[in-house]
Amino acid sequence: MTQMDTVAGQGTSDGRKEESAIAAAARARFRTRKILVHTTQIAILVLGLGFWEIGSRIGWIDPFFFGSPLGIVQRLADWFANGTAYGSFWDQIWITLEESILGFVFGVASGVVFGILLGEVPFLADVFGPYIKIVNALPRIVLGSIFVIWLGLGLPSKVLLAAVLVFFVVFFNAFQGVRSVDRNLVANARILGASRLQVVRHVVVPSAMTWIIASLHVALGFSIIGAIVGEFLGAQGGLGLVIATSQNTFDASGVFGAMLVIGVLALGAEALMTQLEHRLLAWRPKSTSENNIAGL
Amino acid sequence: MSGVASGGVVLRGVTKRFVTPTGAAMTAIRDINLTVEPGQFVAIVGPTGCGKSTTLTLASGLDMPSGGTVTVNGKDVTGITKGASFVFQTDALMPWKSVEANVALGPTFRGVSKADALKLARNWLKTVGLAGFEKHYPHQLSGGMRKRVSLAAALINEPTMLMMDEPFSALDVQTRAIMSNELLTLWEKSRPSVMFVTHDLEEAIALADKVVVITAGPGTVKATFEVDLPRPRGAVQEIRFQPRFLELYQQIWESLREEVERAYSRQADPNAVRGAA
Repeated sequence: MTQMDTVAGQGTSDGRKEESAIAAAARARFRTRKILVHTTQIAILVLGLGFWEIGSRIGWIDPFFFGSPLGIVQRLADWFANGTAYGSFWDQIWITLEESILGFVFGVASGVVFGILLGEVPFLADVFGPYIKIVNALPRIVLGSIFVIWLGLGLPSKVLLAAVLVFFVVFFNAFQGVRSVDRNLVANARILGASRLQVVRHVVVPSAMTWIIASLHVALGFSIIGAIVGEFLGAQGGLGLVIATSQNTFDASGVFGAMLVIGVLALGAEALMTQLEHRLLAWRPKSTSENNIAGL
Repeated sequence: MSGVASGGVVLRGVTKRFVTPTGAAMTAIRDINLTVEPGQFVAIVGPTGCGKSTTLTLASGLDMPSGGTVTVNGKDVTGITKGASFVFQTDALMPWKSVEANVALGPTFRGVSKADALKLARNWLKTVGLAGFEKHYPHQLSGGMRKRVSLAAALINEPTMLMMDEPFSALDVQTRAIMSNELLTLWEKSRPSVMFVTHDLEEAIALADKVVVITAGPGTVKATFEVDLPRPRGAVQEIRFQPRFLELYQQIWESLREEVERAYSRQADPNAVRGAA
């Protein structure tokens, strides 16, 4: 017995050394790979922008149609310093942001409420199902024109368009999420004495949350699209109007510049959303891809 | 039939039919007569698809019978059975709730304040040997530990009857033996009546006072065997070497084997109509 113990003891201390060596090697491999990936990414960016810039200078690319990286930077610098034709550039960014955020909030809230309601009450789902499908099949962007007629050129028409776009994404996910709740969990909660509302609160909503949160990323994109398209269709300010004006004056750098700003906004929002997702879904086991860092 | 009014479960001529998605009616169980005395541990064995689980869902009030009556604690079952707890084959734990919050669900639903419910839950976790794991999430525990959590979550409501649907069948053999012992220890403490569905005959005899053999589907009671092994039974792993255990095993297996073979040949025969009476 004692002999076996010592043998086993030696084995583990040797094993531990070996394991830490393997782990260190794997970490080093992982680091090298990460550096390689990032270097390549930067190289591609520099090459692309360099080609574009030089090409536009020596005449391969017509800067009138395609702009140039430096031209875009200059245009943005000008906007930030001197403002646009309809006020400071910051104001335009804020207008679009405000429309997107409000549209997102209203769209998500209504999508979640209706999704859960229709998911929980089959009668409502059967009654409203076809209508929702019909409205969903319409090219909803066109609704923007109606909204501008109804609500005018100000903020409400854009918020409504963004909210409508967001609603359908979130609604279908919430609905599906409610429908795919584990029947065992519901049965268990009922036997433990849960009322219908308690089942919804403790089982259905948290369970559907995974689906709902998955839809929020897409919804976020749609809220920005809704705001910008709404501004295209008729507005007194906002990045969509900036782009439309640049288009009308054949200012390619302006279009690209505004696009860049929208991209930065979207990335920032996306990062916030990821934070929120980690927060709300902290209970979830790490997916295997997250656990196995490459090379380990 | 003593004490039927004060506790226990009585199924009289219970039949359950389902309508399959194709529109055909399917009889799951037919004319089942079954009595569980208060405090009795009854194991229900039978071949796959014989309606063992259906019997449990009817007794728990999750579903209503198509014919016959189900009486629990002397009252006809019309909704969720009061005083019953259920342990499922796959653990029915909320993955988004910590272990203690999962166990506290029962009291929470019954209106106990959150702090008291959690206190109670921690006590029960101690009882099932999971002190120190209160804040873990279910996915961080092993299968056996999750089963303990399920047991604690079921027992915290102090059920007068406990329904278990193949609770240990997803566990490995060693863990299953440990959990069986633990179940017996817990059961001896409060003595609820138990309906324990399993397809493992050894498990059934080792745990139960009475083993009910159900026929191949549509299921009905084929035979009932009293298990007269003394209690407390002690280690489940050792009791199976006792002569009386082997005797009972042979008797019951004799009865069960026919049904298993029938169920199997029906499965193997593509022309057979499943569930035809």
